[in-house]
Amino acid sequence: MKDAVRIANEDISHDEEVRALRATSQRIGGIATFLGCARDFSEGRQVTQISFDAYAPMALSEMNTLRSEAIVRFALIDARIVHRLGVVGAGEAIVFIATGAEHRAPALEACRWIIDELKERVPIWKKETTPQGDSWVTPHP
Amino acid sequence: MISVLFFGPVAEHVGASRIEVDFVPGVRVADVRAQLEARYPDAFALVSLAAVDGEHVRDPGALLADHCEVVFMSKFSGG
Repeated sequence: MKDAVRIANEDISHDEEVRALRATSQRIGGIATFLGCARDFSEGRQVTQISFDAYAPMALSEMNTLRSEAIVRFALIDARIVHRLGVVGAGEAIVFIATGAEHRAPALEACRWIIDELKERVPIWKKETTPQGDSWVTPHP
Repeated sequence: MISVLFFGPVAEHVGASRIEVDFVPGVRVADVRAQLEARYPDAFALVSLAAVDGEHVRDPGALLADHCEVVFMSKFSGG
C-alpha cells in the first residue's frame, strides 16, 4: 500500500486512495474527500499547464504533521494527503485529501481544515503556463 | 559553510536554486538574509518566510550552525 502522505510525480487515483483509507478500519462511518484540480483559466488567462516546485523534505514533513494534527483535532480514524509535483496539465489532479471518521461531520470539517492549512504551511509553489507567458501564482484566500 | 536554498519565484529571481555562504560563529538568520538581500533585492522582495534545516524559523535572530541549510521562501501556493 502506498504511504498515506506522499508527494507524487504521477496522477492520483481517487479510488485507490479511498480504498486504502477504508481498509484501515471498519469503524469508519464517513469519508470526506477533496480533489484540487488544475483550472484551464485563471486571472483572465487561458492556462495550459501548471508546474510545481517544492522544498520536498519540508513539504513532506509538514504534510505528515498536518495529518497527525488533523487526526487528533477531529478524532479521525485515518487521513491521507497526496500532492503532485512536476508538470500538471489543465484538468488534472493537483492535490487529494481523504479523511475518515466515525461520523460525517468531523470527516468533512477535517478535510476543509487540512486543505486550508496545507496552503498556508506546506512549501510548494505553482507556476501557470499561459499563451502570454509563465507566471508564479500569488496566494489568495 | 552554510547552504542557502531557493525555490519557485525566489529561485527564478536569484537565478539559482542553491548558493553557499561562509559560516562565521555567531551568524544569525537575519545576517545571512541581509547579506543576500543586498545581492538579490528583487528575489528578497518576495521573501516572507525562512526555514533552517527543514523547520520554520520565526525568530530572525536565531543563531545558525556550521553546515546548516537555510531556505528563504515566498508565500506558498500549493494545493
